[in-house]
Amino acid sequence: MWPLRRPKRIRTRLTLYYAAMLAGVLALYFGSVSLLLFWQASNVLKGLAAEDLETVKGLLYYDDDGHVDVREDYHHHSDWKQVQERLLEILSLDGTILYRNERLGDRTIGGPIFPGEGVHGYSGRTAKMSDGTPIILISRQYDLRGQTILIRVGYSQDLIWNELRGTLLVLILASPLILAAVAYAVYATVGRALDPVSKMAHRAEQINSERLNERLPVESEEGELGHLAGVFNAMLSRIEQSFEQLKRFTADASHELRTPLAAIRSIGEVALEENATPAQYRDTIGSMLEEVNRLTAIVESLLTLSRADAGQINLQVSVFPLAALVRESAALLEVLIEDKQITFTLAGDESVGVQGDRLYIRQAVINVLHNAVKFTPPGGSISARIQCDGDSRVELSIRDTGPGIPPEQSSRVFERFVRLDESRTSVNTGSGLGLSVARWAVQANDGEIGVTSTLGTGCNFWIRLPAVGCSGHG
Amino acid sequence: MRVLIVEDEEKMARALRAGLEAEEFSVSVAATGEEGFFLASTEDYDLVILDLMLPARDGMEVLAALRRKNLSVPVLILTSKDTIEDRVRGLDAGADDYLVKPFAFSELLARIRALLRRGKPEPSIALKLADLEMDAAGRVVARGGKELSLTAREFDLLEYLLRQPGRVVSREMLARDVWRETARYTPLDNVIDVHIAHLRRKLDEPFNKKLLHTVRGVGFVLREEPS
Repeated sequence: MWPLRRPKRIRTRLTLYYAAMLAGVLALYFGSVSLLLFWQASNVLKGLAAEDLETVKGLLYYDDDGHVDVREDYHHHSDWKQVQERLLEILSLDGTILYRNERLGDRTIGGPIFPGEGVHGYSGRTAKMSDGTPIILISRQYDLRGQTILIRVGYSQDLIWNELRGTLLVLILASPLILAAVAYAVYATVGRALDPVSKMAHRAEQINSERLNERLPVESEEGELGHLAGVFNAMLSRIEQSFEQLKRFTADASHELRTPLAAIRSIGEVALEENATPAQYRDTIGSMLEEVNRLTAIVESLLTLSRADAGQINLQVSVFPLAALVRESAALLEVLIEDKQITFTLAGDESVGVQGDRLYIRQAVINVLHNAVKFTPPGGSISARIQCDGDSRVELSIRDTGPGIPPEQSSRVFERFVRLDESRTSVNTGSGLGLSVARWAVQANDGEIGVTSTLGTGCNFWIRLPAVGCSGHG
Repeated sequence: MRVLIVEDEEKMARALRAGLEAEEFSVSVAATGEEGFFLASTEDYDLVILDLMLPARDGMEVLAALRRKNLSVPVLILTSKDTIEDRVRGLDAGADDYLVKPFAFSELLARIRALLRRGKPEPSIALKLADLEMDAAGRVVARGGKELSLTAREFDLLEYLLRQPGRVVSREMLARDVWRETARYTPLDNVIDVHIAHLRRKLDEPFNKKLLHTVRGVGFVLREEPS
C-alpha cells in the first residue's frame, strides 16, 4: 500500500519527496498568482465601472411619465468593448428600483442598500446578483433634480475569469510537466550521487577472508561517501591486521604444539625399538611426560589468553601498594636471583598504591621479572624502580643487564610465541607466552607495558598502571 | 576401598583403573552416565570418580540424580572445563572435589586420599624416614643425628614430602600446598626446581643413601630406595 509504506530505496524516496514538495510549492504559487491576477483585473473592472457610472449619470433624465431613464446614446460614450456586459441599476434611497438596463432584465444587483453606500465617492465590492451570479459592483449616490438616487454598475466576474482562463490553463497544464521533469532530474541526480554506494556494496560483497587486502573504491576523499568509504577501509585494515595476527598465531601455536608432540612420538618409537632395562623405560616415559607437561603449560596459557581475548575474565579490583607487590614477586623468585648472583634493587616511592586486580598484576610483574632473571648473566643486576607518572599513573620499570633486544624487535616480544633470536631460545625453557600473558594482564587493568632496549645494554621493561596516592608527586 | 570410575574414554578409564588398582583400590568402571548412575545407586562405593562429558546423560545430571536420592558417597569430578563458573557449578551440584584434565596422577591420588580421610581424625604420622627425623612444631630437622640448616621454604617443602613418604608429589601440588599459589606457571616451576636442588644438596649430598628423588616428568618423592 504505497502512501502508507515508505519506499525502501533512497532514490525513490528522494524523488517522491522532491516531487511532493514541488507540487506543494507550485500549488501555492499558482494560487497566489491567480489571486493577484484576479485582484488586478477586478480593480481594472472597477475603474471602468466608475467611468461608466459617470457616463450614465450624465445621460440620466426623467421621461414624460416621471420615470428615470437613460438616454440611448450612452453606449457610444464608452470605448470599452465589453460595454454590452454592463449591468445597470438605479435605485431611490428607499430601495425602490427606478431603472434596470436590458441586460439586467428583472434581476437585481447588490441587494438592499447598505448604510453609507456610495455617499462619499464610489463604493466598490464583490457581490452577487439575485440569481447568484458573482459580480464586481460599483455604486454611487447622486442628486437628480432634488431626488437622491443610487446608481449601481456591475460586471459579472465571469469577465475576469474569461480573461484569466488562458493563463490559468497554461499553468495547470504545465504543472504535471514541470513535476515530471523535476522528478526525473532528481531521480537521475540521486542515482548518480548514489552510484558510489552501489559500487562500494558490489566491492564489499567480493571481500572475504581470502581477499582482505582489497579496499572499497574512494572517488574523493571529501564528502560523506568518501568519508564512509575511508572509514570502511580503515576498518578493513584493522580486520586484516587482526586476521594476519590470528593466522600467524595459529601457525605459531601449531608449531609450538607440534614440537613436543614430535618429541613424544620419536622418544616412544625409539624406546619400542630397543630392548631396555626397566630403569631406561622409566626414563623414556619420564621424558615423554616432560613433553606432556610442556604441552599442558602451553595449552593452559593459550586458554587463559583466549579467554582474555573473549573478555571472559572478571577482574577483582582493589587498591594495594605496588612496592610490596614487587618485593613479594622478587621474593618468590629469590632462589633464581641468588643462584645467578644477581643483585636486585628496588627504589622509588614505597607508598604508591595501584588500582587493579592484584592477582593478575602480580602475575605480570612475576613474568616480567622472571624474564629479566632469565636473560641477566650471572653476577649481573636487575633494578626495579617505582615512579609516579603524573597524578594518576605509576610506572614500574625493571632494568636488566642482559643482552638486550634490537630496538626494531622490541615491540614483538609481547607477541605470542615470539622468541627473538636463537641464542635466547637456548636459555628459554618457557612456553613463549609469559610476556604475552603479562601484556594482557596489564592491559586488562587499564595499564600499558613496553620495553626500551638497545642491543648490548640490557632491557628496560616498563609497566604503567592506574595509581592511587601519586598526586603531589608529579 | 571400592572406587567407581564413570568415564567414557576407554584409554583414560583403563589408565585410571590400573593406577588405582596399583594403589590397592577395588575398581569398577562405567562407560556411560546411565550405567554409572545404576552402579552408584545399587552398590556401595567409598568414592565415585565422575567424568563430566559423557554420552547421553552427562556427569552433572548423574551427580544431581545421585544427590536427589540422598546418596552421600564422595564424588570427585574430572573435566577439561576449567573456568571458575564450571567449578562452582560442579561443587554446587554436590561434588566434593574437582580436578581438571590433564592432571598428574599423583595429584588425583592425593585428592582421593583427602576425600577418604575426610571426617576422620588425621593419623599422626611420625615425621621420620630412615635416618631423617623432623620436629615440625619445633621447626627442627636432623639426619643421622646431625641437624640440617634449612631455609623456611626448604623446611616447608621437606615437611610436605615427609608427610606423604613414598608418594610422588607433582609440581602442581607443591605450587598449591607449599607455595600457596592459585595457579601453576613457568617461573614458579623454575623456582620449585631450584628449591628442590637446594634441599637435595643439604639433605642428601653429605650422605650415601639418597632420599629425595626426582621422578622424571612427574614430580618428586621422598623414599628409601632399596640398595
